[in-house]
Formats: sequence, C-alpha cells, structure tokens
Amino acid sequence: MSRDTGMTLTRRTILLAASALAVSAAPTLAQEPPKPRQIVINASGGAQAASLRQSYWADFEKETGIKVVDTSPVDFGKLRAMVDSGNIAWNITEIGGQDGFRVTQMGLAEPLDPKIIDRSKFVPASQAMTHVFSPSSYSTVIAYRSDVFTKGGPKSWADFWDVKKFPGPRSLRNHPVDNLEAALMADGVPKDKLYPLDVDRAFKKLDEIHPHISVWWTTGQQPAQMLIDKEVVLATGWNGRFYGLILDKAPLAIEWEGGILKQGSWIVPKGAKDQYWSMKLLAMMADPKRQAQNAMRLGYSGTNTLSEQYITDDKRPHLPLEPGNLAKQIWLDQEWWTKNGQAMAERWNKWMLSKQ
Amino acid sequence: MSTADATRAGPPAPRSLRVALAERRAALGAFLLTAPGLIFLGLLFAMPLLQLFALSVEGGTTEWYARVFADGLYTTIFLRTFEIALFVTGAALLIGYPVAFFLATTTPTWRAIGFALVMLPFWTSVLVRTYAWMIILGRNGIVNRFLLDYGFIERPMTMLNTRFAVVLGMVHVMLPFMILPLYSAIVRIDPDLARAARGMGASRLKIFQRIYLPLTLHGVVAGVTLVFVVSLGFYITPALLGGGKVTMIAMVIEQQVREFLAWNFAGALSVVLLAITLAVFWVLNRWVARRVPPAAGQGR
Repeated sequence: MSRDTGMTLTRRTILLAASALAVSAAPTLAQEPPKPRQIVINASGGAQAASLRQSYWADFEKETGIKVVDTSPVDFGKLRAMVDSGNIAWNITEIGGQDGFRVTQMGLAEPLDPKIIDRSKFVPASQAMTHVFSPSSYSTVIAYRSDVFTKGGPKSWADFWDVKKFPGPRSLRNHPVDNLEAALMADGVPKDKLYPLDVDRAFKKLDEIHPHISVWWTTGQQPAQMLIDKEVVLATGWNGRFYGLILDKAPLAIEWEGGILKQGSWIVPKGAKDQYWSMKLLAMMADPKRQAQNAMRLGYSGTNTLSEQYITDDKRPHLPLEPGNLAKQIWLDQEWWTKNGQAMAERWNKWMLSKQ
Repeated sequence: MSTADATRAGPPAPRSLRVALAERRAALGAFLLTAPGLIFLGLLFAMPLLQLFALSVEGGTTEWYARVFADGLYTTIFLRTFEIALFVTGAALLIGYPVAFFLATTTPTWRAIGFALVMLPFWTSVLVRTYAWMIILGRNGIVNRFLLDYGFIERPMTMLNTRFAVVLGMVHVMLPFMILPLYSAIVRIDPDLARAARGMGASRLKIFQRIYLPLTLHGVVAGVTLVFVVSLGFYITPALLGGGKVTMIAMVIEQQVREFLAWNFAGALSVVLLAITLAVFWVLNRWVARRVPPAAGQGR
C-alpha cells in the first residue's frame, strides 16, 4: 500500500485491496456507512477552536456535507460518565496530554482504525499509541519578560531556580505534573535518567523555590496573562499560550531547554456513534499540510514528520518539534503519571498546605 | 385527634368536621401547588445526593471515609475552608448590616439606587468579577499604581494571590445574600418603636441594642446561614485570587472527580462536607429558635 500519496488515493487503494481480499463483503465495504447530520467534537476551546475549524473542520464539512459542532472544555470525568452511562454526546473528544495511557487502560476509547487513518509518518511517540490520536505536540516551557532580563534570560531549570541571577516573582503550575520533572532537572538529574522520578528529591528542590513563587497557576491562560501584566517575570506554561504573543512582538521569550513535551491527544469515546466518520475526520487531521497550517496558527507542532516542510521560516523557531528545539526537550512519561498521579496530587496538596 | 375530640364535644361537631375537612383540602391544595417544586428538587437534588452517598459507600466499605480522616491533609483543608467561610460571613455581616439598614430607612429614590448598586454585581458573572479584582489588586493594578504614583509606597504591595484577596472576592460575591434577608427584617420594624425610644431618651446605641438587634436577629441568622453555607462550596474565586496558595475543599473534590475519577472518595468528601454544613445549619436554627420568640421576627 502506497503511503506517500494523498489521502484520497490511499483510501481508494485500501478499498480496492479490501474488496479484492474479501469478495463476499465487497458490496458492503465499497459503500460508506450512512452520513450523520453532524459530528460533535469536544476540545479545549479558545483560540484553538478557531484554528481547528480553519485547518480541518471547514474542509471536512465541505467534502462530506457533515456539520462539525464544537463543544468544550476537556473533561475526563464527563468522558467516563458518558461511557459508563452509554449516553455519549461526543463523537470525538480531546483529552489531557498526560491521560493518553490512562484512557486506553480504562477502556474509554475506541481503537484507531489504521485502514482509515495513516500515521506511518508520525513521530514515533505518536505512532505507538493504539487508541489515542495525536496530531500535535505541545511543551511546558520557561517563559520570561525579555525586557526585564535584557542580558539574556534563563537558559535552564537551574536558572529558573536561581533567584540571585534572575530575581523577581515567579509562577509555576499548581500541579505536580511537569514541576517534579523541572525540579529534578534543576537539581542536576540528566534528562535521560529522570524516570522513575525521585519524588523526595524533587520535593526537596521545590522547597527551595517555593518562597519565590507568587502565583501557582491553575488555568492555561494565566501564565501569559501574568507575564503581560508583569505580575510575575518568570513562569512556566504551555508554549502555544506564548506563541501568538511573541509573534506579535510582546516583550516575552521562551526557553526550550528542559521543556516537557506532551501529545495533543484525541480519542473516539468507546461506543460513540458514527465512528467511521469520526475516523475520517481524524484522518484529515493526519494530513501534513493541514497540520502545518494548524501549527503555524497555534504554535503546536504537527506530529506528522512531513508537516515540517510546509512551515515557513519565521514560525519554525517557535515550534516545539523543530529539530533544534526538540533536542533540548524531554517527553513526559504518561505511564509513570498514570500509576502515580493520584498519590503525587495528594503529596502535592499536603506540601502546599505545609507551606501556608 | 382534634377531629375526634371535636366530635365528642357535641352540637358544634358537624361544623368542626367540615372545617377540618376544608382545612385538610386546603392543605392538600397547598401540597399540590408545591408538587412541581418538590418533584424538581427530588429529581435534580435529592436523587443525585443519594447517588453520591451510594458512591461513597459502594461495596459496603467505609475505607473512603477512613481516608478522609486518615492523615491531617483533608481535615486541615476542611478547617481552612471553614476559617475562610467564617471570615467571609463576618465581613459580609459587618458591611451588609449598615447597607441593609440604609436601604430600609432611606427615601424611595435612594432605595432604588441602592438596590440597583447591590443587585448589579449580583447579575454579573462571578468569573468577570473575579478578573476585575485581579486588575484592581495586581502588582501593577489600579491600587498599587495609585499608591506608587502618589508616593505612598515605594514598592508594590502584594494583595493579589493572598488569602486577603480570596476573602475580599468572596465577600463581594456574597454581599447580596446577606443584605437581602437583613433588609427584609429591618424594613418590617415599625419606625415608631425607634421614635418612641428616642422620645424617652434612649441613645442610638441603646435603640440598636434593644430594638433593632433583637427584631432583626432572624434576618441576621438567615443571612449568616446563607453566606456561610454557600461560602463553604466556593471554588473558582479561591483558585484565581488565591494564587494557588489557598485550598478550599470544593477544589479538592473537583480534582478528585475530574482528574482522578476517584468518585467514591469524592463522594465521601462531599458527604462529610454536607454533614458538617447541615450540622451548622441545625445549630444556628436551634440557637435562634431558643433565643428569639418566633413572633418577634414576624412582628409588625
């Protein structure tokens, strides 16, 4: 089966191959299942929704005549409630980047159909997942006010921890994910030796920085907002939240060193309706050109390695999977967090309370 | 019982019986009128509540409750939550009482303006109001800018992302809940009572102590209960104004539900919160029932 040709050709090839192999099933296979009136996609909303519509949904609507309806926000609890009750309102939903392993383990997702979705050119981490479709990657990075640190900003997590060299109020996420990794890197643990995380060591390192954190952020837009308002001068955040601002020449900069990569993750909920069409839509999101479009709008790299070539030079340095940037970062270990997430959250809350 | 007694009393019996029947019919009518409300509450409130309880003891185990009290973590969060709710209630009462008093005793024009000012924020989204506080209290916010520009301070004060900001934001949200019951209590008091007291030489403080305070105690308890109970469940305001340094129990429950899908444990936490809330409600009610004769609150 030829993989380098466009989507339509691939589908035709598949259908031909399939009907040739299974002669008896041929008549039904050649026909597509009935089209639903609409596909409901649940995602994070915000700026992302507009970009997804421009990059993917609009074309899907034009090609199939099926309306794409957006809802938000991402809600893992709701997903489980839907699957448990069999009353599934979403055809496709986004999930948190750390939840891909868990969603598969808990049986909340349908397996992806490789006959419809071509992921052969995806980065290995995105190819490996059987139930989770990952068209983009994002990274938790250090962001700072470039007008405050005029002689160059922090170059590593150790610098983020260095309050003498880089004075000023800081912000970290009010959550153990990313922070434990960052603390260990700041303490000198080599990037390839992070997992399994040395939790005691991480919290000890976090003790050091705690007095200098003026805000523990909870929602994704907070870090960028606080940097713009100069409420803090250093913060961690998801790279796409700073991307548009940096392109618009806001006095912000990000450091990729030690960035913690995660997969933008999408699933078809277990038992959802019209799965064929949902898979068709995901297939559209696998298309390298469209991924590049979306990446240039949002700052979240496409995971199809062929998408790279469609990125314009002015945007390239600002994307997490650009080879130079990629080399500086690590991938979050979802499996570790699935096993330890709840225990870490309790320890985190306890640690927070002990500081009050 | 009363019907039976009336029958034994002789001649007036048929009439009493008719009255009793009519009363019963009226009661039935009243019940039917409340039926839609009761069904609504039953389906959308009582049922989920029972389900929540069922989740917390699923499999006949008490382990989830044991975990709530196992180590200091959750009990400390409960205590912190109550502390904050208490601060908020106290501040809302101190601010709300004078406002309610003003509204109840001023001219109709001022009353209309006052009510508009009280209700306008009430109709504004909590999120919007929370962001407004962020703009006001921030390091480069309105207050700090003003104080810096006029040389009152040399470095910006930290107001946002503190417990103070959380309490302030919550009081702002809760004030109408305090003012409205207080207003309805104060407005019922006959102004002649105060006039008579003044005529007999009572000081303003005495008038407040002997007339207003006892006659509005019902309103005070209603307002305090409402504000306190609602404050216990606050979630978004402390998350945004507390800078992550203030943890309230609703935030923890949300985390358990959405992030960890630990619904049994979340159920146990919720049931404990509900039990404590009901206990507070009951104590306040008992206390006021004993302190104030019921007529006083309704007096006219």
